[in-house]
Amino acid sequence: MSTGAAADAQALLRCRLSDPRFSLSPSPSPDSNYSKLKFILSNSIFESCNNSVLLLGPRGCGKTTVLELVLRKLQTDHPDRLSVVRLNGLLHSDDRCALKEIVRQLCTDHQLIFSKMASCDDNSQFMLSMLRECALAHKAIIFVLDEFDLFTPGKQRLLYSLLDAMQSVQSQAVVVGVSCRLDADQLLEKRVRSRFSHRKLLFLPPSMEDLQRLLRQILFLPTDSSFRHSDFAVKFNAKLSVIFNGEGFIDILNSVVGVDNSVSHLLNFLFCAVCNMDSGSGFLSLGSFKSAMLSVQRQLKLESLQDVSILELYILVCMKRLEAKDCGSYNFNSIMKEYKGLQDASQTGAYYSRQVCLRAFEHLLECELVGFTDNNRGQSLSIEFRAVVLLISSHELYQGLRSSRNCPDILLQWFDRENPKSHAY
Amino acid sequence: MAPSATTDWPSPSEIGDNALQPCFVLHKALPRKYEKRSKEFNSDEDESSYEKLRSEAFNLVWSRIETAIKDVLKHSTSHLFKELHNWVHESFLAIKSSATCSLSEVTRPYPLLVDNLCRQLFTAFVLTKNIEIVDDLLTFKELGVHLKSQGCHIVNLSSHEFSVKHGIAGCFRSLLRQLVTFASNTPDISILASWYSEEANYDKPIVVIIEDVEQCSSMVLAEFITLLSEWVVKIPVLMIMGVATTVDAPRKLLPSNALQHLQPRKFTLGSPVERLDAIIEAAFVKPFYGFNVGYKVALFLRNYFLRHDGTITSFVRALKIACMKHFSMEQLSFLCKGIIDEDSKVWEKTCQSLPEGLLKYAANISSIKRNNIDGNVGDALADGISELMRLRNNWSAVVMCLFEVGKYGKIQLLDIFCEALDPSLPNCKALKRCLEEGKDHRQPLRRDAILRDSESLNSREGTFIAQAVRKVRDLPSASLHQLLKFWARHTEEIAEVNHKVQALLSTFEVEVDGQVVKQEENGMKRNPVSQRLPNMEKDKSQVAHEKAAMLAISMIRDYMVPIESSPFHEIFCFKHVDVLQSALIGDPRKTIQTDLLRSHSYLQCSCCSASLTPSMHDTSILYNLAQEHGDLINVHDWYESYKAILVGSSTKSKAKQKQSPTPKKRKVTDEPNRIEEASIQYPFLLLVP
Amino acid sequence: MGDSETVVKTPIRVTRSSSSSTTTTTTTTPKQNSPQKPKPGSRSLKNTKASFSDYLLFPKPITLDQLYSSYPCRKAQIDELLHLIGPPNSPMKPIFIYGRPSSAKTSVLLHVFKHLNRPFVYSSCKSCYNPRLLFESVLNQVFFHGKQSTNNYASAKRCEKASDFMNFLREALVHTIATIRENQRPKGSKNSLNCGAGEMIYLIFDNVEMIRDWDSGLALVSVLFKMGDLLKMPELGLVFISSASLDSFYGNTGLMELVPVFFPSYTDEELYQIFMRGQPNPKLYSSFLGVVLKTLCRLTKRVDELSVALVPLFRKYCEPLSDLRVIPDEAMKRKLFSCLQPHIMPSLNQVFKVESGTIVETNKEKEKRKGILRKQGSGETVYEVDFQMSDSAKYLLISAFIASKNPATLDAALFDSTGGSDNRKRKRKSSVTSIEKKDQAAQEMLLKGPGTFPLERLLAIFQCITSVTDGPIEREQVEDGLTEEVGSCGLMSDVLLQLSTLCNANFICKGGSCPLEGSTRYRATIDEDMVMKIARSVNFPLAKYLYRR
Repeated sequence: MSTGAAADAQALLRCRLSDPRFSLSPSPSPDSNYSKLKFILSNSIFESCNNSVLLLGPRGCGKTTVLELVLRKLQTDHPDRLSVVRLNGLLHSDDRCALKEIVRQLCTDHQLIFSKMASCDDNSQFMLSMLRECALAHKAIIFVLDEFDLFTPGKQRLLYSLLDAMQSVQSQAVVVGVSCRLDADQLLEKRVRSRFSHRKLLFLPPSMEDLQRLLRQILFLPTDSSFRHSDFAVKFNAKLSVIFNGEGFIDILNSVVGVDNSVSHLLNFLFCAVCNMDSGSGFLSLGSFKSAMLSVQRQLKLESLQDVSILELYILVCMKRLEAKDCGSYNFNSIMKEYKGLQDASQTGAYYSRQVCLRAFEHLLECELVGFTDNNRGQSLSIEFRAVVLLISSHELYQGLRSSRNCPDILLQWFDRENPKSHAY
Repeated sequence: MAPSATTDWPSPSEIGDNALQPCFVLHKALPRKYEKRSKEFNSDEDESSYEKLRSEAFNLVWSRIETAIKDVLKHSTSHLFKELHNWVHESFLAIKSSATCSLSEVTRPYPLLVDNLCRQLFTAFVLTKNIEIVDDLLTFKELGVHLKSQGCHIVNLSSHEFSVKHGIAGCFRSLLRQLVTFASNTPDISILASWYSEEANYDKPIVVIIEDVEQCSSMVLAEFITLLSEWVVKIPVLMIMGVATTVDAPRKLLPSNALQHLQPRKFTLGSPVERLDAIIEAAFVKPFYGFNVGYKVALFLRNYFLRHDGTITSFVRALKIACMKHFSMEQLSFLCKGIIDEDSKVWEKTCQSLPEGLLKYAANISSIKRNNIDGNVGDALADGISELMRLRNNWSAVVMCLFEVGKYGKIQLLDIFCEALDPSLPNCKALKRCLEEGKDHRQPLRRDAILRDSESLNSREGTFIAQAVRKVRDLPSASLHQLLKFWARHTEEIAEVNHKVQALLSTFEVEVDGQVVKQEENGMKRNPVSQRLPNMEKDKSQVAHEKAAMLAISMIRDYMVPIESSPFHEIFCFKHVDVLQSALIGDPRKTIQTDLLRSHSYLQCSCCSASLTPSMHDTSILYNLAQEHGDLINVHDWYESYKAILVGSSTKSKAKQKQSPTPKKRKVTDEPNRIEEASIQYPFLLLVP
Repeated sequence: MGDSETVVKTPIRVTRSSSSSTTTTTTTTPKQNSPQKPKPGSRSLKNTKASFSDYLLFPKPITLDQLYSSYPCRKAQIDELLHLIGPPNSPMKPIFIYGRPSSAKTSVLLHVFKHLNRPFVYSSCKSCYNPRLLFESVLNQVFFHGKQSTNNYASAKRCEKASDFMNFLREALVHTIATIRENQRPKGSKNSLNCGAGEMIYLIFDNVEMIRDWDSGLALVSVLFKMGDLLKMPELGLVFISSASLDSFYGNTGLMELVPVFFPSYTDEELYQIFMRGQPNPKLYSSFLGVVLKTLCRLTKRVDELSVALVPLFRKYCEPLSDLRVIPDEAMKRKLFSCLQPHIMPSLNQVFKVESGTIVETNKEKEKRKGILRKQGSGETVYEVDFQMSDSAKYLLISAFIASKNPATLDAALFDSTGGSDNRKRKRKSSVTSIEKKDQAAQEMLLKGPGTFPLERLLAIFQCITSVTDGPIEREQVEDGLTEEVGSCGLMSDVLLQLSTLCNANFICKGGSCPLEGSTRYRATIDEDMVMKIARSVNFPLAKYLYRR
């Protein structure tokens, strides 16, 4: 029974975590972004005036979420007073396909037949006429431009035509730009910027208190009838609150938030925690949070250093030595020279042939511990002549050497001694 | 030439055209020669008729030679094809056994979950022992046909598909075009998979032949290989790569992560040298097609092959040119027709019925001049030819014998052939010397023979034939036995030599130690006295060697008469190196330049003379000027002098006008000046590259 | 409001009438009538049954123990994946699996899905080498569309832009999930088709790291990573597999929502386990592995490379044995090891070995060929280059090598106007000039590789060399004088052809044309000993012309 309960609990939590709307419930306070945005949109709908606004703020602070909430509210309240067109800078940065997308959405909203074959001019014509018609029908069209900053490179024809259309009285539309670049409006051309009403809503990352509130709100199971196993829920919540108050958890939370204090990051962290909550007891433990933290914030370079073979470590150390000598740029040949020198100085281990070293070197290039300084790929010059650099700091390398399982100690000596002669034995 | 060299740079694709150039030169050259020669004839119609005869004789002879060559080449590759087919079969079985996948699974995008740890492509590196790919393109085509006939899917890719510009899409496009026989604009492997999963195509290996790996762009090739190796379990793809240089060329070319997807196997194509030997044997030594090359020509061909481009293709082309030249220049060459038909009647009749023009010509063929003939030229011609035939047969027999020796002694037939053609052969000192030593030495011969042999090897004097003869002496007796058998076969026409050989063979037979060696070809029964003491055998076999050597020498001395020292050989033997050379390496740039210098001599117009005049063609003017200035000329001076020449004629008139004081006149005169400027500058800019 | 509707409608007709002839709804495609692509609205159930199970599911699921047993060293990762993917019908965050190549990322994931028996779509960015192919392969699977000769191997949809991809995908997924739903109902009675477990459908993108090399790859990567937000479908699960770690995808925006799963490369013990699997004679093989595995692991940890290296070694190891089923004791082990010992080091040091043709007689044949071939090597069989190459090409190659070895300033000293007829003078000069330049030049050579040179310089050196050379030409002179001038005039005529030939053989490569004079520059990429061989074969004293260490 408890396992079933646990399963249900996990399912519920996962649903909550992966549904962004749940995470930010609208806060009714009048100065919240939610109510501001709601006000802007609703009066531009009902005063039937054009408007434009930018929602700015770092990632994962719920810009889009708030917008979605507002739009849903409005659509539920006045279903036929507005129609929403959603564009995303990632997909529609190209003007003509953006126009096409607009037309497509408008068509689907108004049950019209959409033609793929229509030319770009047809589409823009159609959009303008739609604007006009909707204005006559007292219907506001709301353009949501997500990743707003990605629309700005290029000629900004789309933005211009949108904003220009809004200068005329017989159109009724709102352009809502969402961007994580706080200087998004500086990216606009002059002709566009002049037509843009400089109304911006700034979204700030949530404070620690908000996050903790969010934490409880998300993780605590409902003890009311909405969740079947209420007694399990009580036990669950009790355990959680114990964990939350323990300082071990506070540290974890601090380190997680310290890396990235956005909501989405927190949600990720929680998701991992929920995923490896032990299915036996079905309760979240501190351990699960710990492992979640580890899996969320990883030491990528160290991991890949763990993976490299001994020979590859040799090469890395040789490169590090070359960089310490700072003899300008160097390439595989100079590495081989260095390696040979070291090998001769201290007769330990076998001296590997050039081919094998080259293969190891290519592995290093593959897993991006080593990189080319020149990144033109069509070059006629073969690999061993191209200049390379170490992509990890010597400190990271040192840690890697220390932590790697069977690293020969001669390597460590090579690592910190400068000249091999001094300790040749 | 050097500075202008970069302007016409032959890209690899153009090599073919450039290489063809001599032929064009040839075709231009031909008619003029006819003009010259036809002066000697009194009547045109028989001249034309004989010309027709000649041309068809040429067609006949050349077709014979060509077919002979083709057969040789086909024979040389057939063995490799068999090997490759076996290899394909084995590796296909290997793939099948490693994992089985159903028809429906083939088209799935995800890899098959078999736990063979790494997927490898079976790859055959075919070493075409030649840095020039030209010869082997055809070979790979034939290989493709052969394997197709054995029931594989064949894709022939060349390095052009593996260019950085088109990327991997390029090779897939042509791959699909060859297999699926339709060109998709989005070629990818899923199409190949679904094609392969159709009943008709399923369960056959797909062989991808890449003619020239070295030229492929390594990035694209590597990508191609890794991609195919992902799918190799579902789509059994085998690769055959032509490698021009060395086995580790691919290793240098490809990155390691592509290399470890290959499971290579090495195959070797016959080297062009041995193919050439075979060709010469088939085309010139063994049968007589009524066309033969003189000593100098042979040498020239040999050097051209060894030093300029070692391709069979160009060698054959050179031969063809030589043949064509011969039949166009030599008026009696049509006689060879009879020779091919092998009946003396034909050419005797034709010889009788020659018009006296030709007879006169025949009478003062240089080789007859020496021993001047009396009586009927026709008869003389007839039996001269038959004589020549006899000599030629002996010669070829001997050369074949020597070649058999050469096979043991690592001496090329090509060298022996050239040397055997040398008319000054009998009085070549090196050969003399070895003949001498053949006479006087008895027991201690082997020692210093070897010694001399070695020294003569590293110092180049000591001809190949001499080497061959020496080789005969220090052959191991078993191989000598073999050799003698070969000789017996080759010298069947020459009765007396054949007898000697048989005798030698028999004695050898006897003296070879105890165990019985039965002879089929000459039904000798071994006489009972065959038990000898070993040392006795030793020097006996020694004697046998000696005898063999002497026999070889006598053969060389008596029967190997170079064709050029026999009467009427001009009719069948092509000796004009210079003609061939000019046709073959007819340095186009040089000819153009010389022609530019003497343009007036070509277009015989009245106005031009040797000196530069404006009426000459602009190009030639410019070139002449450039010559005058030496190799470096700056464009301004060039233009100035060019203008000077063009304007030169009209200057006087202008000077006249200059004297007239009134300013407006001068204004007027400026006009034509400026016009001239334009009209001069235009062709100048047009011409200056 | 009704009138507004009509008002809305009217102008549309006007505007659309231009293209109304060609209008089609988004759901219909050119392929509609072809049987492969079932039309979403009316697809026959058995058709769906067939297509669904074989497009989105594995034939037969496996149990958890089979899963664990098939990957003994990957238990931790399997558990992690199972946790993240979670129970049926529960949404998930996109997963990012990464690890070195050949660390069983893909196959483990596929096995996991085989175990879970849930619908998934797999597409590898290696097989689909550009965005369009990627999109279309995904769409083909979601639309149950197979490329066939009947539809001449076309995709279900023609889709090049990411935006179109999103629309198509949304439409298709909505439909597919609907079908799943209707079949998930407990009593779909007789004809409820097998849609696997749960209502989720998963997209798997393999080799994501390849996308970065495509043009505008990073944008596409971010689109894929954010697909969950863009589509807003909780029923969609995303899994990305990459051999490059997550940090190499930074620099484009907002990828932090991925949950990383790391596949570490195997330790030596794990490798031992892996290679021991499915061995006919475990005792023997384990003793063999005990000998070689440690040393091999020092070089590389990649399973595929190791297995390639192991096969020939094991063959060597078994050579002394009569039958392979023998259980080795200590003495035998020692004996075998002593037999193997000499072969280990060389096999370590070669990456790539080519074994020649199989059959015995072919080997013999090859020997004969080699024998014949040695003839041309005029006496010295040891140093002979074993492929045909005309003399002029050889000289050209040598001169190219010289040109890219020596700095151009040295040419005057090397080849004086007399064509450097007397060697010792030249030699002295070269050594003198070389001494101060040597180490710096050596460093240079190490860094820049072979230097480039214009065509003119090459030709000049070439002429010098051919004028100086003794060896073969002298031989020709013995035979007759004619060939000499044949040589000289002939050489110049086709030297450009020779050069292009050498370029094709990768001995010389065209470097970038230098900006000052437009002419292309060349570089000799041939390695030294090869040139030495060639120089010997035409016995040309190459060493004199190079100064170096």
